[in-house]
Amino acid sequence: MRFRQLTAAFTLMCFLGLGLQSTASAGVIGTADYLAAEARAGHLADINAALNRDDVRTQLIALGVDPVDAAGRVAALSDSELADVAQQIDTLPAGGDGLLAVIGIVFIVLLILEITGVTDIFKKI
Amino acid sequence: MPDWPKWLLLLIAVAISACTAPWRTLAEDPRYELTTVPFFPQTIHQCGPAALATVLGATGIAVEPEALAPEVYLPGRRGSLQVEMLATARRHGRLAYVIEPRIETLLAEISAGNPVLVLQDLGALGIRRWHYAAVVGFDPVSDVLVLRSGKDRRHVVRRERFLRTWQASDNWGVVVSRADTPPATAAASGYVPTLLAAEPYLPAADIDAAYTMMLARWPADPLVRFAAGNHAYGSGHLAEAINDYRTLLKVDPVHIAGLNNLANALLDSGCAVDALAKPGVQKSWLILLPLATAVADTLDKALAATTSVSATEGTGDSVCTAE
Repeated sequence: MRFRQLTAAFTLMCFLGLGLQSTASAGVIGTADYLAAEARAGHLADINAALNRDDVRTQLIALGVDPVDAAGRVAALSDSELADVAQQIDTLPAGGDGLLAVIGIVFIVLLILEITGVTDIFKKI
Repeated sequence: MPDWPKWLLLLIAVAISACTAPWRTLAEDPRYELTTVPFFPQTIHQCGPAALATVLGATGIAVEPEALAPEVYLPGRRGSLQVEMLATARRHGRLAYVIEPRIETLLAEISAGNPVLVLQDLGALGIRRWHYAAVVGFDPVSDVLVLRSGKDRRHVVRRERFLRTWQASDNWGVVVSRADTPPATAAASGYVPTLLAAEPYLPAADIDAAYTMMLARWPADPLVRFAAGNHAYGSGHLAEAINDYRTLLKVDPVHIAGLNNLANALLDSGCAVDALAKPGVQKSWLILLPLATAVADTLDKALAATTSVSATEGTGDSVCTAE
């Protein structure tokens, strides 16, 4: 009975065309692979991650990061983080500082708001 | 009342009231505030490195913002990305856990002694102005929060004001912690992937301690058991791994990856395996098809082993049978 079940399963896998590997650790499912599978990512995610890694590294360099630093920074990102960044590195929030174009009356209004503590616009950051 | 602009009303209000906001000068109070959290005044655009150095410093990692800039600052954006803030904490041997996006959770972390790194939008009139800061205190009497922010060691801000600036980032808050001392509000489902991402940068002893801690804190959590089993397996502790997988399967009898890895650990221990012949397993295959290759490998190994083991009627090793 057990043999039949195993054989059936084995055949099923072959039909699915997923192939078999015979490395020493073959068969053991790592925690990261398991989490990726739960997220319905799987093998496709591996391929995308490799592409994203290259893509993000190029973009970091284009945005002024030293190429040596860029390699280490990309290596530190997880696959899902890479996927988040890859397509939108130019639009994601980048905490730092933004130039405020304030003139005339707008400036005065903001100043008042600041003095009353309603806003934090003129706080030095 | 005519449709007066709000600012005009405010102007009048200011004229007839005191001009100072009393909460701005709130005295430092160790009851509500993590007074020992270090402070690094930021230089231009560099609030990311400064805020990160602050929360890293609180966990005993002494690093200057200038040293973090090459790892986290993005010159072309004149700022730092959220994912790189997380990644940089990992590179310094710490875990960066994104907390549940609620003010109650943030305050619970402060109470537990953990400063919270936050992303705010300090802009106005539709102009975005993203800014990182570290929340270090909350005074329930004055209803204000205290932040290490920009050039202010103690920036005091009313709670409602803070909430407005925080909301723009979908209440993004991060607790940076040692691997074995998770945030007070951490959930197993979030902590396991957080630890996993940091493992390449952690000393082996820290990783071991983290799994020991997780098993103590979430003893019945399937994901923790699975991850701990894998860690034990990877470290060569087969009996420990088998025990973890079995505990997991008591909670979730058709955990396909757990069954699969238990089968592997048993095979490696020289045991015959029927772990994958359970009812319900076939259904799980369909749910987790990406894992099918690994399961097929295991079945292959099990088939080969069944032949040899049945010839010797088992090995008699006690690890083979669940108690």
